[in-house]
Amino acid sequence: MSKGASLIKPASYTALIVLLFLIPLFVKGAYFLHILIMAGIAVILTSSLRTIATTGQISLAHAGFMAIGAYTSALLVMKLDLSFWAAFPIGGISATLLALLVGYPFVRVKRVYFAMLTLFMGEVIRLTISEWRDLTHGTSGLLNIPPPNSIVIPGLLNIAFDSKVPYYYLILALVLISLLFLYRIDSSRVGRILLAIQQGDYVAESVGIHVTHFKVLALCVGCFFAGITGSFYAHYIKVLTPDSFGVLQAIYVVVYMVVGGRRRIYGAILGAFILTLLPEFFRILKEYQPFVFVGILLIITFFLPGGLADLPRLGASMLGRLKGPGVNHA
Amino acid sequence: MLEIKGLTKHFGGLTAVTEFDMSIYSGEVVGLIGPNGAGKTTMFNLITGFIPPTKGHILFEQVDITGKGTHAIAAKGIVRTFQQNAFLPDMTVLQNVLTSCYLHPKSGVWEAIFNTPGYRKKEQNALHHAMEIIEFLGLDSVSDELAQSLPHGYQRLIGIAIALSASPRLLLLDEPLAGMNANEVNETLVFINKIRSVGTTVLLVEHNMRAVMKICDRVIVINFGKKIAEGLPQEVKRNKDVIEAYLGVSEDAA
Repeated sequence: MSKGASLIKPASYTALIVLLFLIPLFVKGAYFLHILIMAGIAVILTSSLRTIATTGQISLAHAGFMAIGAYTSALLVMKLDLSFWAAFPIGGISATLLALLVGYPFVRVKRVYFAMLTLFMGEVIRLTISEWRDLTHGTSGLLNIPPPNSIVIPGLLNIAFDSKVPYYYLILALVLISLLFLYRIDSSRVGRILLAIQQGDYVAESVGIHVTHFKVLALCVGCFFAGITGSFYAHYIKVLTPDSFGVLQAIYVVVYMVVGGRRRIYGAILGAFILTLLPEFFRILKEYQPFVFVGILLIITFFLPGGLADLPRLGASMLGRLKGPGVNHA
Repeated sequence: MLEIKGLTKHFGGLTAVTEFDMSIYSGEVVGLIGPNGAGKTTMFNLITGFIPPTKGHILFEQVDITGKGTHAIAAKGIVRTFQQNAFLPDMTVLQNVLTSCYLHPKSGVWEAIFNTPGYRKKEQNALHHAMEIIEFLGLDSVSDELAQSLPHGYQRLIGIAIALSASPRLLLLDEPLAGMNANEVNETLVFINKIRSVGTTVLLVEHNMRAVMKICDRVIVINFGKKIAEGLPQEVKRNKDVIEAYLGVSEDAA
């Protein structure tokens, strides 16, 4: 690779990030920022779910673990007067601890059985929240959750969370940090091991990899990000009801991931971003969202099993074929 | 090096292995042979901890490893290959081998995520180790190909490469020659000899008798989960029990 080409990628990433930081300067509409914030939440959820799925296991409890983070953080702030900035990581940690607790028994089963177990786990979390009325106010929900405390550096900075803009910057920072972390996992030997577990767990085990540990690790990492996302969501939306974290939400995250493509982390980003933005532009889509998503999912699994992230590669190989035989076959 | 005492495995009412005793000494190539269903692969599964024994003990270098997990046994130095093609299909040959270098050198999760200098050094070492194994097995020309896209002979070699990259001291090969043509068989035998020459002990399950007789220092014959003979290849070949139970009374044997 020439030096010029190796600079294109970092440069375009930097440009994209700068653009994302500049958006609130151009866009004044609160509604549009709201959509972007929700897309940011979906991006973290989807890419963290992908880390779990790399081991070959699809978790349908992701919305449930998000609820754990959301309720933990909201209740800590409301009942114990904790600062949001302390409750926020605790939200993530509590989801991680629960994942650690259920992880070892759960990862004993594979594939569809794991999906079934996590499906029930998600439901158990949701039902526990709706039945534990003393603490969570059940289905009537937690209301008036306070916003994050203002960031004040005397004389320098005073950021109050009184409009969408600080929330936008907060979620943008969270997205960038989460993606950096998940990307590091993906491109390091940890990611290689997780993929190896998906490809042949007995092979991995036979060369000394503690498969169970790594599966639980993936689950814990994924659930940590679900937890902190939940915490952000709670203090952003300011109202929590158990129904915000149902099976459908969990399935949507899986749909984002599959439509975007599981092989690459940008597939998860792409899927989450496109599928959260799309219904906003076509109101009709929003009314029939489950149907539309199922349709998109079917089309993708039939015609583009690698997801949207696979398009560039397919395009390149098609071009290669058009150029004539023997051109692009390494 | 490896000592097996009174090893027994029941699967429900079926007894796969009965009161099996066996010793393997450092530096040997030992053949474990027997008719189909005799319990050879069960022995492999027991030694490497894929299944726990019902009774008996397995000692590796005087340490009891009975009932330990496969990954822990691999960390002690016993690594196996599989009868079916066992590799990571959707990864390149290099990635296959690199992933299997997990133990050598081992690095922590956090240093990998934070990309510390220590981790990068270990990755370099692992890459070096992986390339050595790939070159050793002559896979360098296909190291960037996806494992699933390669012909059968290469895939079997990848299986061996994966096992080797865990730096075993005792390597268990489960029918490494199955489905190979005469040329590939000869090449693989050369590899096995090379593996032994660097000090790795080999336990071999194989149906290709000519190859077993050629390469093994010692042969153990198992039938219906019991050891029926043990000794030098020539001795075993002439053993009456073996001929009857395993080879049958054929013109060759007579």
